[in-house]
Amino acid sequence: MKRLQLQRWSSSALSSRVRTGSRLHRQIYYSGARFQSTTSNSLQFEDDQSLAGQQPTPPSTNSPFPQFTKHQLPSPPIQAARESAKLAALHARLYLPSRLPLETLARCLVDTSADPNFQFNNNSLSVLGHDLLTNYASEHLVCTYPRLPLTVIFAAMYAYAGPKTLHAMSREWGVEHAAVPGGEVDPGLLQFKRVAPGTNLKEARPLVGTTRPNEDQTTWRKSITSSVVYDNVFGDPELAAPPPAELSDNVYPTNDGINSEPPVTAEVASANFVRAVVGAIYLHAGRQAAKRFFEQHFLSRQLDISKMFNFSQPARDLARLCARENYEAPVAKIISETGRRSRSPVFVVGVFSGRDKLGEGAGASLVEARSRAAVAALKGWYLYSPLEVRVPSAMEEDGAAPWKPVYVDLGEVIV
Amino acid sequence: MPVQGIRSVTSARNGVGAFILQCKRLDFHYCDWAGSSRGMVSFLKHQLNAFAKQNPQIEIRVSPRPHKHPVIKGHYINGREKAVCVRNLEPEQIFQKVNLLKQNSGEKNKRTKKPVTSINDSVRGIWSPYHGGLKSV
Repeated sequence: MKRLQLQRWSSSALSSRVRTGSRLHRQIYYSGARFQSTTSNSLQFEDDQSLAGQQPTPPSTNSPFPQFTKHQLPSPPIQAARESAKLAALHARLYLPSRLPLETLARCLVDTSADPNFQFNNNSLSVLGHDLLTNYASEHLVCTYPRLPLTVIFAAMYAYAGPKTLHAMSREWGVEHAAVPGGEVDPGLLQFKRVAPGTNLKEARPLVGTTRPNEDQTTWRKSITSSVVYDNVFGDPELAAPPPAELSDNVYPTNDGINSEPPVTAEVASANFVRAVVGAIYLHAGRQAAKRFFEQHFLSRQLDISKMFNFSQPARDLARLCARENYEAPVAKIISETGRRSRSPVFVVGVFSGRDKLGEGAGASLVEARSRAAVAALKGWYLYSPLEVRVPSAMEEDGAAPWKPVYVDLGEVIV
Repeated sequence: MPVQGIRSVTSARNGVGAFILQCKRLDFHYCDWAGSSRGMVSFLKHQLNAFAKQNPQIEIRVSPRPHKHPVIKGHYINGREKAVCVRNLEPEQIFQKVNLLKQNSGEKNKRTKKPVTSINDSVRGIWSPYHGGLKSV
């Protein structure tokens, strides 16, 4: 397999301080020359505007450079990263590769709501990190549990790479939050603009402009298949990307002191930080390091998938499953019972297909015991896991053995 | 929809994949004048550098606290802090206290009655009175 050249296409997401040389880099350097700018704020504004439209001319370097003070900047300056003890401690605590500089880690800690300038916030890194995380998590789930129903896969994806988990991880990494973002703040703190306490988040921001057609029809049935097509990896409606015309105007937001970005919750900001760290590791240390980081920090967490099922009619589903797989129709039989006429009876019921016992359950009534038995049988089917699973990304390693196709199941039962 | 997924959050198992040291910050307070800080000042001068180099994951702060006994405070990831007064202690004894704070989880001290706790289900299963060797009355 030919290996992708990381350095060539990742330079747009890397910070301008790390690499030098290309034309792209000159652009980034120009637009990011916030600290060395010769112009006043209004002139800087015009420069940034012109940058989006036409080719920029390199800035003249022989004029004096008045420095911005720290208090005027929306996020800490780059030089502060080397002086922050918190940042160095965080770098060491996560055992991040030494190729990932402290400056990039500082950038990972700046949310879009704190600094709208894409050259200084973690937006690009977190987009990349999110894609990596969901890619690794989904290939692990699909290859390890090939028969999982889609709804359970969505829930498991949410458990591995969802914002709640990432927020918990950032807390467990010991990341502290800055009260208010600013240039004078320690760069080792997570910087974001906080939502005012007491804000009702659902009322404040109704989700409009999603990728789903007829999104205003709240009473319409939402099928799981449409969720695969329209929604994000967690099965939630996703905001549509703005059209390219709007994007090109906003690639380099101006730094005129007014931050119009909406405030975010700590959960969103922490999740973006964790994703950005994964993206930064991928860019600076390569694919293997990113995958190892995912395995050590994400995959090693405990998740019991057998507790993520919620069956509405298990007996019916089991009957449909047996019909699909050409098994004999399931029959429930009492295995043992006690106290049928008493206040607390117990029935142990097994579900049999021919001579094979598919599942067994105990309950206080016959119906309850039968449905428990059917749930046990369905879980036994859905939670099948082949031995010695290889995921597709294992092929990216050097000297990988030839790929053998993994087991792919028909999918869940359609009732 | 025949089956629905229940959303949950994965729980951390520190040390299974990656290990995160729970002590995130150590504060050293000393007094330049008082005699009870003599060992602490010597520790700060001669041993703290090496300790900080060996443990880069701990943020270290040193600050004077005039007319008070010397104190070491450990701040932990779970949000708690532990303080140890090191008055009149020798540098070696202070080093032991620093190691104690470094290796601590930050939880309250409690007596461990069962040496092994697990979040995984038992492999053997739970004994059931309704299976095997049933006696008919």
